[in-house]
Amino acid sequence: MRRLAILLAVLILAGVGGGNADAVTPEARHKVITAASKNLVEIGLSYRGDQIHFFGVNPVPGSDLIIRLTAEKSEEVKLSVKGRVGPVWMTVKQYDVTGSPFMYKIHSNKPMSQIISPALAQELELGYPGVRHQMKMHLARGEAAPDDADKVFTGLIKIKEEANLYNIVEDPKRLEISEGRLFKHYFRFPPAATEGRYLVESFAFQNGELVGYGKDVIEIKKVGLEAWMTNTSQNQPVLFGILAVVIALGAGLLVGMIFKKGGHH
Amino acid sequence: MEIYLPIAGMSINFFLVLGIGGVVGFLSGLFGVGGGFLLTPLMMMIGIPPAVAAASDSNQIVAAASSGAYAHWRLGNVDFKMGLIILAGGIAGGTIGVQFVKILRAGGNFEFVMKVVYVLMLGLVGGAMFIESWRTIRRSKSGAAAGSEEMGGAKMGGMFSKLPLKMHFHHSGLHTSAIFPFAIGTIVGIMAALLGVGGGFIMVPAMIYIIGMPTIAAIGTDLFQIVLTSANVTLQQAFVNKTVDLLLALILLAGSTIGAQFGAIAGKRLKGEQIRILLAIIVLTLTVKLFLDLVLTPSDLVSLAPAKGGGH
Repeated sequence: MRRLAILLAVLILAGVGGGNADAVTPEARHKVITAASKNLVEIGLSYRGDQIHFFGVNPVPGSDLIIRLTAEKSEEVKLSVKGRVGPVWMTVKQYDVTGSPFMYKIHSNKPMSQIISPALAQELELGYPGVRHQMKMHLARGEAAPDDADKVFTGLIKIKEEANLYNIVEDPKRLEISEGRLFKHYFRFPPAATEGRYLVESFAFQNGELVGYGKDVIEIKKVGLEAWMTNTSQNQPVLFGILAVVIALGAGLLVGMIFKKGGHH
Repeated sequence: MEIYLPIAGMSINFFLVLGIGGVVGFLSGLFGVGGGFLLTPLMMMIGIPPAVAAASDSNQIVAAASSGAYAHWRLGNVDFKMGLIILAGGIAGGTIGVQFVKILRAGGNFEFVMKVVYVLMLGLVGGAMFIESWRTIRRSKSGAAAGSEEMGGAKMGGMFSKLPLKMHFHHSGLHTSAIFPFAIGTIVGIMAALLGVGGGFIMVPAMIYIIGMPTIAAIGTDLFQIVLTSANVTLQQAFVNKTVDLLLALILLAGSTIGAQFGAIAGKRLKGEQIRILLAIIVLTLTVKLFLDLVLTPSDLVSLAPAKGGGH
């Protein structure tokens, strides 16, 4: 039932959101048929990220594959740039960045430059130049400098890569294609990958042209105590705040009394 | 054992958080400080978003301080009269301080100003405390003036004994003006809001050296007023910023409430000047770390600015 709901949502999204930059659905002759080891990841108490395996059929035997994982929603972040002022380092300017995906990973069976032209990569938003093309920077504070765009972009990529939210792996061992037909690979979702919907898109290319396309949707959601705490804190902050203080007071006094009893012996 | 923190939005080692809570709780029980000035930087170091770290720390300080305050109350170390007067000042100061923070934020670089104030305050307090307690220890080692602990404080307290609104503080054995504890409460309240901490590390030295309270009564009384001020901050954070991670706070308070008990017991066994020199060393170490943060070239010039919603 849930699968059906997701599928339905995907169809609606593909239809309605066609003009949306985040949901470009490229025209391709063939569909890349894929199966994911799971489509729903539940965040429970012991969640520490997850790994999802994908299997698929290459629609045109021998063609090359590029697979992209993105968060459905793009992010709005503020980045601070530090500079030297006298003897100390302080924030000298800030940029509001919009349009960058929260998560962005690419797997390809060989270097992308050997598969497609930079222009096509740009158009399909495959690779960091494509991400940068979609990104919009707006100076929020301070004085702009000519190399700011480079600096901010490189800084953002570094922050994301360190959190394992961005990476690009161009390696036939990571994206295995058996006899040119069956392929398999996996994506690692780090613990920082929060609730939301993620798209896994498979692109097949032959002679630099797109010949096949397929899409999977992965949903990450909190369950149980995690979901309850998140919902209560965001939707009923007064209740949550009072609860937090009462629990803290109770725990503190309880431990105090327990230790007092023990102290008599 | 990994555990996922719902509001911080990250998975972290359970025992690492428990251990940090325990160590900070021990120091809290020993020195009568809330531990916020140690806990917030430590939480940020292990990757908790700053807004979530600060809010959840306030929540756990409620527990650690109430546990410590209870222990000190049983040992007869809480001067409630003094505590309430300081608390009244603290609430007034906190309200003013929050407005300062708002103005500084609007002008940018709040974090920078905070660090500079931290370095100046901690350096001054830590340095003065270190020199004073070092002298006391050396003096008592040479066999002279065993009861010199209150001397410096009494001298300064005397300066203010001419002020009106005199009250008798039976518990601390003081007869002094109520204006002064209230004023100190106000100043510390402003500082606490600016620095995002409980303020014990300023309050305790102020109570000892300026008001002239005995070390142990100052610690007990400070813990008492911290319970109420940090409860207030937790509520504000939960209402306004929604950044209190109850799960993180629960793990921290499990560690810290237990740690605080041992701290209070250790505090009873150590001499006042020994406690003070230990606190001075911790404060000075933190000062050096913050100073280096300001002057050394950061490894990353570009960083994510703290988001309004913390983990979201």
